[in-house]
Amino acid sequence: MKKRVQKIFILGALCLAAVMASSVYAVLFNDSRLVAPMDFSEYAFTARDLPMLASMLLLAAYVLYLFVLLLRAIFARRKEEPRARVTRRLNPRWGYLGLFGFLGCLGFWSYPAFGQISPFCFFLFFGFFGFFYEGRLSNTLMDERYRENRTRAALAAGRVSHAVIFLAVLVVGLGKSLLSTELALIAFLIAVTLALALELFLSEYLLYRYDHGGQAEADEE
Amino acid sequence: MPDFECRLKKYRLLKDLTQEQLAERVGVRRETIMRLEKAQYNPSLKLAIDISRAVDTPIEDIFLFP
Repeated sequence: MKKRVQKIFILGALCLAAVMASSVYAVLFNDSRLVAPMDFSEYAFTARDLPMLASMLLLAAYVLYLFVLLLRAIFARRKEEPRARVTRRLNPRWGYLGLFGFLGCLGFWSYPAFGQISPFCFFLFFGFFGFFYEGRLSNTLMDERYRENRTRAALAAGRVSHAVIFLAVLVVGLGKSLLSTELALIAFLIAVTLALALELFLSEYLLYRYDHGGQAEADEE
Repeated sequence: MPDFECRLKKYRLLKDLTQEQLAERVGVRRETIMRLEKAQYNPSLKLAIDISRAVDTPIEDIFLFP
């Protein structure tokens, strides 16, 4: 594992060095071609462009290599997941990441000021409050009751978030005469991000509740 | 709430097993055994068979459905 990480870093450093060297060469000996902004519709190949083109190809190959590694890691993890016997170890304090959700309120300032609506997406972070509950079930044996509860929780959370999205569409649709199309879309974006955050949170919260519900009365030998 | 009677506790004690030991033998958590004994959880056929083997008792004697 360490060797693989080292290999990735070494390859990255080599690519970076190649790009820097070819950029310096282009600036010093090739009138900054392919470094300074230029009109590519009038581009004509010259042999002096070769170092820059080669380094760009090398960089593209490296990015592709990283992408392939990422995909392989994702598929390997998906393969391993059904075989996992315990839940992942997680500190409940990660739940404080949910506080970043309040950054979504920046959208109410950035939209009128700059026309930017992307800060509203921060509302998704509210879903990370679910880590408080996932952390409490950290390193738990995933027996059949756990898996059943997880499915139940995911279904219930999905139903609630779909209902919220449906209601939001309905309300925005009914109020279309009051809102401009742009405002309606913003309202819809906010509703969808909040609904998704709610789904993330609820799936963990409900799983915890189903798993520990009535624990006090049942906690006896 | 599952509508059945569970006599697992009786057969488990006859076998001199703790909930923890039984849970370990059948590959579930102790909480799951607790729920089963209180008839608060309806087990899969596989778990029911594993439990019946662990306590050496037929399934129909452990789980009584009306």
